[in-house]
Amino acid sequence: MGRVIGLVAYHVFKESVRDKVLYNLVLFAVLLIAASYILGQLTAGQDIKIIKDLGLAASAVFGLFIAVFIGVGLVWKEVDKRSVYNLLVKPLRRREFIIGKFLGLALTLLVNIAVMAVALYAVLALMNWLEPGFGKASVEAPVLDPQLLKAFGLLYVQLLVVTSVALFFSTFSGPMLSAGFTFGLYIVGHFNADLAHFENVVKSPAAAWLGKALYYILPNLAPFDVKAAVVHGQAVSAGYVALTAAYGVLYASAMLTLAILIFARRDFK
Amino acid sequence: MSTQPGSGRRPGAGALALLVGAVLMWGAAVSLQAYRERHYPLPPAASDVLYFRAGSAAPRLALGFDAILADIYWIRAIQHFGGTKRAAGGDKSYRLLFPLLDLTTTLDSHFTVAYRFGAIFLSESYPAGPGRTDQAIALLERGLAADPKRWQYAQDAGFVHYWWLHDYKTAAAWFDRASRIEGAPWWLRSMAATTLAEGGDRRSSRHLWQQLYETSDDEWVRNNAQLKLSQLQALDQIDALAALVRRYTQQFGRRPGSWGVLVSMRWLIGVPLDPSGTPFELDPAQEGGVGLSKQSPLSPIPPQFTQKTGPTS
Amino acid sequence: MLALETENLTKDYAVGFWRSRPYRALDRLSLRVETTEVYGFLGPNGAGKTTTLKLLTELIYPTSGRISILGRPPGDPEVRRRVGYLPEAPYFYDYLSAEELLTYFAGLFGLRGQIRRTRVATLLDKVGIAGERRLPLRKFSKGMLQRVGLAQALLNEPEVVFLDEPMSGLDPLGRRDVRSLILDLRDRGCTVFFSSHILSDAEALCSRVGIIVSGQLVTSGRLSEILAFEVAGWELVMADLDPSTLTAFGDSVRRVTRISDGRYMIELAPDNEPERIVGRLRAQGGCFVSLNPVRTTLEDYFVQQVTARQAAPPAGRVMPEG
Repeated sequence: MGRVIGLVAYHVFKESVRDKVLYNLVLFAVLLIAASYILGQLTAGQDIKIIKDLGLAASAVFGLFIAVFIGVGLVWKEVDKRSVYNLLVKPLRRREFIIGKFLGLALTLLVNIAVMAVALYAVLALMNWLEPGFGKASVEAPVLDPQLLKAFGLLYVQLLVVTSVALFFSTFSGPMLSAGFTFGLYIVGHFNADLAHFENVVKSPAAAWLGKALYYILPNLAPFDVKAAVVHGQAVSAGYVALTAAYGVLYASAMLTLAILIFARRDFK
Repeated sequence: MSTQPGSGRRPGAGALALLVGAVLMWGAAVSLQAYRERHYPLPPAASDVLYFRAGSAAPRLALGFDAILADIYWIRAIQHFGGTKRAAGGDKSYRLLFPLLDLTTTLDSHFTVAYRFGAIFLSESYPAGPGRTDQAIALLERGLAADPKRWQYAQDAGFVHYWWLHDYKTAAAWFDRASRIEGAPWWLRSMAATTLAEGGDRRSSRHLWQQLYETSDDEWVRNNAQLKLSQLQALDQIDALAALVRRYTQQFGRRPGSWGVLVSMRWLIGVPLDPSGTPFELDPAQEGGVGLSKQSPLSPIPPQFTQKTGPTS
Repeated sequence: MLALETENLTKDYAVGFWRSRPYRALDRLSLRVETTEVYGFLGPNGAGKTTTLKLLTELIYPTSGRISILGRPPGDPEVRRRVGYLPEAPYFYDYLSAEELLTYFAGLFGLRGQIRRTRVATLLDKVGIAGERRLPLRKFSKGMLQRVGLAQALLNEPEVVFLDEPMSGLDPLGRRDVRSLILDLRDRGCTVFFSSHILSDAEALCSRVGIIVSGQLVTSGRLSEILAFEVAGWELVMADLDPSTLTAFGDSVRRVTRISDGRYMIELAPDNEPERIVGRLRAQGGCFVSLNPVRTTLEDYFVQQVTARQAAPPAGRVMPEG
């Protein structure tokens, strides 16, 4: 089973490489270098903070676009073009197909995020080398802060959740609608915390209960965002990272299971 | 199966015509825009509209990009401040400074440099700032609410009361509060005591500005502190020179006419220069008969320095 | 053991906005295919051929009825390992080459290393696209894709092959290649089940055929049994003939068609001894060219069955609107 899933996943990765998706990394690197140069001219202070913020924010945006735009086509494209017929007749279970597609995009995202993390560290190291005074006492976190990896790590898990949602929609809905729904859920996922305390805002207890139910059902994406904390040098405990990551993995697994459920009983007309 | 490109000249000419047409249309659009801007300019208020002033909604709407948005508003705050300061004349109300700093710190409540920048430059009076010490204190209090361990905010609050408001009792209370925060430097305790007992004095002032200079990595704040320190140094020099002038007057019954007189008496090595390199002036109108030259970049000395201050009780 | 057996296989689709009107795409299909047979599944467009093949490969699920392939249900992993499938108008992946695609699929069958390389190379050769092995699939023509489809259907050296319109998109040379491939498969002990609406292929290849019209199997059996091989007449071609001499034969001669100067095609009534007529015509100076029996063709039979069924659709099958 693992071998077959691995083959499907490998080919998803191969397709994104051949579709030149990874070229976004070039844009990312250019953005970072240009920004660091311009900021040096602005002398507004806090250059390091701004570079870190920019690097993390850009990684989040690029990663999100990859997760959504490739994710919504993962199943849909194969079904629409009917190339899925050839695959499903081979010794490949339908669930292995879904899992393989997910893992393939997960691999693509991993490569993307890893390269972006390395690029950010490289730019920070370059700035530090050009102007050693950066690491002053008043700056809250070291220039080459290993804690940044926590931000990248949680960002990656968040993207896995988004991917699983996109793939879920991909099993039954076309790319436009799926992308819309997925982006919508991404946005709602950041407002999720407000739903938990809905009773403070609405009068009817039924609405408050509904809010609470939605809070648990919809993905809660805000906790994955530790960018600000890491840049300010605030402690992000290993426990927090582990629990949040575990939530993400479980939620993604739930979405994948739903996707498998829909896909398994489908007729391919 | 691809079709062969046309054998004749015509297809090439067609493409060229389209290209020329596109360039002409683009040129027309650009000229139209220039014309429109000349004759129907956008109302000026549009250029400093903040995209949102919503307070606590801002971090939510930022969808996880609040830190980078805070950076953007911080840069805009700096630009607004620098632009207003450098402009010769014009509106020196700095009216967007507080809203921009407010938004910056709402989006990122740990944005230390924004708080400390605000503390100094919101308090500075015309033409260096809007003179709004209330806004400065409000900002610092928010900073402390987010970061109670950051003693620098308490120190800055004390400083605002000390330097601009001359409220030495409140200043001492702030210094005391700051000194109790874990990690605060030892001298804050004695600063609290001194301020309470003697009010404002030059040595304390120098100490506080020195602290600001050393612990801030914002160039504006550092330059400002440097300026104040130079002015303090100039005052010390003026005191010493005034003593010389007094001695001369006592000895010769009249004021010295120029520095050269004192130099020839070997009381001075050369024409005395202030820390900026500009010579001091012998000015009978000034107290002590010595003052900064009007051309000196250190001039004018802020009134806080020259006020005589006494004990708080 | 039967290679394939279905029993009352039925597929209904829910059609309409409220899904209230079921459309019966397949109505109680029961057929049997023996091993090493070549079975032709024939019918007009929309009859249910592709639906049947998708049910057999479990791309869709039956509403009712039973399917058994090599004695097992269609979704069984063992079945998947021993069966090959060519879908109608196949489409693959734009970003892969033919060789990479076959390597991928071979990997899914568990083939590795040198065995895989050899198998892939052999199949590319066999279907005639060895020269284009490295070309990305998006550059392939319809006929070339069809060949790739055949190749991937045979990767696992299957015991049963399902081919949906295997000749579609191929030129006459290609069709001939596929025909010989199918015969070759049969000779190697493989069972071939293919759907088509090209009847001449069925005539040339099949040991048995089934004809499906409007979702129902109207005939299934040996070709020789379906077509009465009674002679319905003769077609005689003679040259250097004087047509007036034919009137002497009376009712035996049904029709005379002039092919060219002196050459005529003569349709004779069924007669035990057409040689008699030939002999007499030759004695009169005619030159013998050819003599062929006229039998009911599959096409005749097919058209007859289809028109009969489509004139009166079976009860219970609601046609979709539009």
